[in-house]
Amino acid sequence: MKRILFLLALCASLCVTAADAPPAQAPAAHNNVKLWQDARVGQPQFTTVRGVETGVLIQSNGETWRELRNGPMTLYGGILFCVVLGAIAVFYKLRGAIKLKAPMTGRLIPRFSYFERTVHWSMAGSFVILALSGLNMLFGKHLLLPLFGHSLFSWLAALCKNLHNFVGPLFLCSIVVAFFLFVKDNIWRASDWQWIRTAGGLISGGHVPSWRFNFGEKAWFWFGLVLIGLTISISGFVLDFPNFEQGRNIMQTANIVHVVFALMFICMSLGHIYIGTIGMEGALDAMRTGYVDETWAREHHELWFEEQQHKMSQPGAVPASGAPAAQS
Amino acid sequence: MARMKFLCDSERCIECNGCVTACKNEHEVPWGVNRRRVVTLSDGVPGEKSISVACMHCSDAPCMAVCPVDCFYHTDQGVVLHDKDMCIGCGYCFYACPFGAPQYPQTGTFGMRGKMDKCTFCAGGPEIDHSEEEFKKYGRNRLAEGKLPICAEMCSTKALLGGDGDVVSEIFRERALKRGKGADVWGWGTAYGSAPAQQQDKAKEGKS
Repeated sequence: MKRILFLLALCASLCVTAADAPPAQAPAAHNNVKLWQDARVGQPQFTTVRGVETGVLIQSNGETWRELRNGPMTLYGGILFCVVLGAIAVFYKLRGAIKLKAPMTGRLIPRFSYFERTVHWSMAGSFVILALSGLNMLFGKHLLLPLFGHSLFSWLAALCKNLHNFVGPLFLCSIVVAFFLFVKDNIWRASDWQWIRTAGGLISGGHVPSWRFNFGEKAWFWFGLVLIGLTISISGFVLDFPNFEQGRNIMQTANIVHVVFALMFICMSLGHIYIGTIGMEGALDAMRTGYVDETWAREHHELWFEEQQHKMSQPGAVPASGAPAAQS
Repeated sequence: MARMKFLCDSERCIECNGCVTACKNEHEVPWGVNRRRVVTLSDGVPGEKSISVACMHCSDAPCMAVCPVDCFYHTDQGVVLHDKDMCIGCGYCFYACPFGAPQYPQTGTFGMRGKMDKCTFCAGGPEIDHSEEEFKKYGRNRLAEGKLPICAEMCSTKALLGGDGDVVSEIFRERALKRGKGADVWGWGTAYGSAPAQQQDKAKEGKS
């Protein structure tokens, strides 16, 4: 039934004039068909009341926005989220965490600088706040409201909304910095072909040599951080700053783009969070302490490891200062 | 129980903005918010038509459907009201409403719009009738006093009718018959769906 409604809404939006127009051959003298038709197109007419779009008598696209948001975006967005979560759980059950094959050497090499980690965690922190508060805007009414009741839920929703609106711009700042920080290691390298062909050895467990970032990380960088990050930021700003007096049309479109891309972003982030924490031994240490064991570097980023070794063996190379004492 | 509706007769509206002024005065509406406005179509062209528009108190209200905190409700007279204590000022009702009824007292930098304000059909809000809180948040509750909305009551040409949908449509039907033109019930199709047909069906069911 919802699907039918959605299709109808789409058809209606595609052929507004056709759907709204009563038979054109009706005598013009006794009715105002043309007038009412024009009113529905959303062209501003005359009014003494000041304000944004006060001259628009009927704005019909809100109905399309409503059908899309309340219908497929909520339904399929929710399904997608659950499916991805389930798929990761199944993968973890079947494949388990990716363990190191060789014993750790105890020799640590630097992987992420203090600044890189600060940028990463500010990005991650703001992302989690935005994701949770955003999910609450879409699904909270169906999931939390029946549990909490109206008063408590509206208090929570107000908190979420304000957090979302103020943290959003901070997120954009951190992804811009992160882009310039990590872009040079995310450029395409020939070894990425091998990663794609073997799906990174994720399933087979085979070894794929890669540079500082493998193709999976590069995909997350270009599709997640750059493409979705920018789309979501631009559409978010349209919604966050209505003081620029943009009309409803652009805000409805921005909301749809924002929600669709946000759901994709959140689903992709689940994979990133999984492989960065319980999914791979030693991955979290890299971003937590900034150092990785030589064994980890050799098994996951062999080409980068060799490059680092080569750099270290150069005359005049300074050993990384502040490295935690090697564990024996 | 009556089903409250507004109807603006575009053959009669003379764009005097009396309804707009009456509304602002009655409810002491905040600056920048106009619960009612008059829009003139084809202004200055022969055949121009003016329409006074506010919340149409829709049967299948889009604002209600999209509100993420579910703060809207229908009174038993079909009036669409909302609870300002729950409203988070997200703007969704404003995106969804075809009539531009929901408005905000603040300009909205960082989405700080304040609590949404709209026409209440002079029916107040969820607070206790005639309480000070009710007046501050929603304006006067004329329905509880047994009166109809001030905009329609003040209309000098009786273009704007507000009240029981059956009575209002009957008045309008007689007018349209007498003058033989201008039978367009503006906004009802959008606000009440295919309500005329549904109502007829219901009326038939009721009789049989």
